[in-house]
Amino acid sequence: MTSDDADAASVGLLLLSGAIAALVVSPLLWLVLRASDVEAARAASLMTSADTVEILTNSVGLMATVTIASILIGVPLAFLTVRTDLPYRRFWTIVAALPLVVPSYIGAFAFVSAFGPRGELSSLLGVGLPEVYGFYGAALIITLYTYPYVFLTTRAALLSMDSSLVDAARTLNSGRFEAFRRVTLPQIRPAIAAGALLVALYAISDFGTPAFMQVRVFTSAIYWEYGAFNVEYAALLSLQLIAVTAIVIAIEAGVGHDDDASAGGADGARLRLGAWKWPAMGAFAGIGFVTLVVPVAIFGLWFFQGTGGEVASLEFELEYVVNSVTLAALAALVASALAIPVGYMAARSDSLSARLFERMTYVGFAVPGIVIGLALVFFGSNYLPWVYRTVPLLVFAYVVRFLPQAVGSTRTSVLQVDERLDEAARTLNAGRVETFRRITLPLIAPGVIAGGVLVFLTTMKELPATLMLQPIGYDTLVTIIWAAHESVYYRYAALPALILIVISGLSMIVLLRQEKYNVS
Amino acid sequence: MAHDGSGRAGRTVIDHSRRRVLAASGLAVAGSVGLAGCLGDDPGDPFDDYGPQAAALESTAVSWDDLGDLEGELTIYSGRSRDQIDPLFEMIEDEYPDFTLSIDHDGNEDQLNSLREEGENSPADIFYTQSSGALAALKSDGLARELPEDIIGAVDDDKSDPDGRWTGASGRVRAIMYDTDEFDGEDLPDDIFAYAEDEQFRDIISTRPNSGTFRSFITAMIEMEGKDETRGWISDMVNQQNATLYSSGSQQAEEVAYGDQDIGLGNQYYAGRILNEDPDATLDVAFTSDDPGCLFNVSGVAILEASDRPNLAAEFTRHILAAEGQEFFVDVNGEYPVVDGVDYVGDLPTVDEINPPSFDLNALGDLEPASDLLREEGMTV
Repeated sequence: MTSDDADAASVGLLLLSGAIAALVVSPLLWLVLRASDVEAARAASLMTSADTVEILTNSVGLMATVTIASILIGVPLAFLTVRTDLPYRRFWTIVAALPLVVPSYIGAFAFVSAFGPRGELSSLLGVGLPEVYGFYGAALIITLYTYPYVFLTTRAALLSMDSSLVDAARTLNSGRFEAFRRVTLPQIRPAIAAGALLVALYAISDFGTPAFMQVRVFTSAIYWEYGAFNVEYAALLSLQLIAVTAIVIAIEAGVGHDDDASAGGADGARLRLGAWKWPAMGAFAGIGFVTLVVPVAIFGLWFFQGTGGEVASLEFELEYVVNSVTLAALAALVASALAIPVGYMAARSDSLSARLFERMTYVGFAVPGIVIGLALVFFGSNYLPWVYRTVPLLVFAYVVRFLPQAVGSTRTSVLQVDERLDEAARTLNAGRVETFRRITLPLIAPGVIAGGVLVFLTTMKELPATLMLQPIGYDTLVTIIWAAHESVYYRYAALPALILIVISGLSMIVLLRQEKYNVS
Repeated sequence: MAHDGSGRAGRTVIDHSRRRVLAASGLAVAGSVGLAGCLGDDPGDPFDDYGPQAAALESTAVSWDDLGDLEGELTIYSGRSRDQIDPLFEMIEDEYPDFTLSIDHDGNEDQLNSLREEGENSPADIFYTQSSGALAALKSDGLARELPEDIIGAVDDDKSDPDGRWTGASGRVRAIMYDTDEFDGEDLPDDIFAYAEDEQFRDIISTRPNSGTFRSFITAMIEMEGKDETRGWISDMVNQQNATLYSSGSQQAEEVAYGDQDIGLGNQYYAGRILNEDPDATLDVAFTSDDPGCLFNVSGVAILEASDRPNLAAEFTRHILAAEGQEFFVDVNGEYPVVDGVDYVGDLPTVDEINPPSFDLNALGDLEPASDLLREEGMTV
């Protein structure tokens, strides 16, 4: 194979990765189209009003608080499950990862029902509990349901990191903390940054929780304008939101620059927790109780307490499960396939464009689902009527929103493959494609599958784009939860919500099994 | 649309081009109806006439037995919740075995926004909404088809569009929900301004500014009382009363029934549903008198210009406005009929007892002045 061929292949792959990036950001053209309908003077006054400044401050504040808090929770928990002799580590790992499967709006609802001023818990205890609404309430709930992004990425990095380095540092008389700060932290920093980026983008694009907790942020302002039929203003606000997220994405690119993270794999001595194992297990149990036991208990309560009229059209049907799983599986497959070239190029190429294309795929994750949904309503109905309101366009919407989860995890796994393996294969006369298929792909498969699982479980939870683009009459678990909740027939929401959590929970176990080393 | 009269140039241009296309597609309707039969999966319009297939609607309700039989398929975008509307749709489908409805459920505003983006390519035949504001907006975008004469004639002008582009199907009234442990309905003020000014409601009053009917209520207040008065009301609610702002109507009603709020300005039916599930809930509703606080709004129907089955859609609309359809709203939803000859039998006071203001519902199509005021005074969630 000549170097010309290799260059041609690289250029081809780069072009493919560019095409994918262009495809997934293309719906955002609609925003520009709609935003340009607003008069310039009006746009300027809207964008600089005190109100917009408040929204910007709240949004950025919420995003920063949630991100920092997620790192503070996710990193220590990851460390405990990988590097210590914590009892029942497999169990706690699953507990710590599971909150990601609960849609945060359901978490918010359950949380307020349980911990609200006159919620279930307060009536059980017979005392009033402190105010849960507001900025900190919202920050707390979003953190509890998104920190697993940091937990999972950090854990994966810790598992693949060569821990003999830590042992070396310890023999050189560094204290435990010193060894962590100087040896471990620099190696896992890109992974923390990758998880933190997903947390940050999720936090700024979440609508349900801030709205429920009465905090005014970009998403609630976008929904507000949208509800007043001012789609043009909603578009303008969305562009502003994208500008903020572009900065965040750029910051992460700076912090999370990738060194070669390839693994030594020596399993060094585990840190003995001693009596500290009790508070450590207490922390896992506490988080698990609040994020998992409480919502499940609340659904259970709804399920058994419901009285009053029957609503035939909200009655549970197996079809909802089939539809949800089919959509989520398709989205996961497509996103994983598209993530391979983008993630591969981002890991293997030094070129700015490879990195830019990868970053571009993150934008959709930060944009609220209604924005992507409405953009595709416009493009679909007017230019692609044959796919409009069919499964393929809906799956495309999910890919636009959730692709970065697959890209991030694929890129990390490519970084962990030693490039010398490729070279060896090529000296044995294997072509580029064959090398990729026989050497690289099997090695990165766990990362690709892990990314696919993340896409799967976020698709299971997605609501606004689903409502807008679903084939007419095609109900899923979340659309039924939404309908039941909207009309206060909570008992019809209970069963679909529990099933949603169980299926997503099972997929989370698949994800944890993909890691390089077994959980035990 | 802009309240200062400057308008939004871009929008106007879009509207014109849309209308041109719509006019052209209107001319083509006759042809496309004929063609549709050859196009495979589109069942086309089973009827040749936009007028009544059998009996026409009258000013007093007629029966389904007198109307034409429905056959074929219709696609409805519904902004009404399933529990309130699906039973009616099922009842009609049961009556006519050759008739199928494809229902798309989504939020009211989401449906309108989707219809606007879809324009003439919408797969929907009918928009069924919980708020006349959405219908008026649909009309002003040129997306609603003029209804047949008999439908226009059957419903009073204050419950439908005087130009005949949409019609109300059932009525609902804005209400004051209150905690019966804290207040006696008899003692509550019947003036909506008292709720923003009276100290006794401070810290215990809530509203839900993101709902369509709330925006309609503010729009009506601007029309009836003027912009300054309305701004004062909003500002007092936010700054003086420290009103809690909910983003969910059910959450708001539950807070009144079980939580920290004692007064909630909202739609009556949320309270009705909670009482239906839990008859012991300490919750009831009261009404203001002849002011926007008890605005009579309608849920209603428009046939889309984009529909290629307008004749079937028209006959379906007649069924909603016929006696059986109207009785459904009264019996099942506790809503008010819009056609004479159907008696109101629910637990609520009759419309005469409530004394809602008389109001042109088309004024609810332009929400921008209300939206601007709410944004400026910080009543947005």
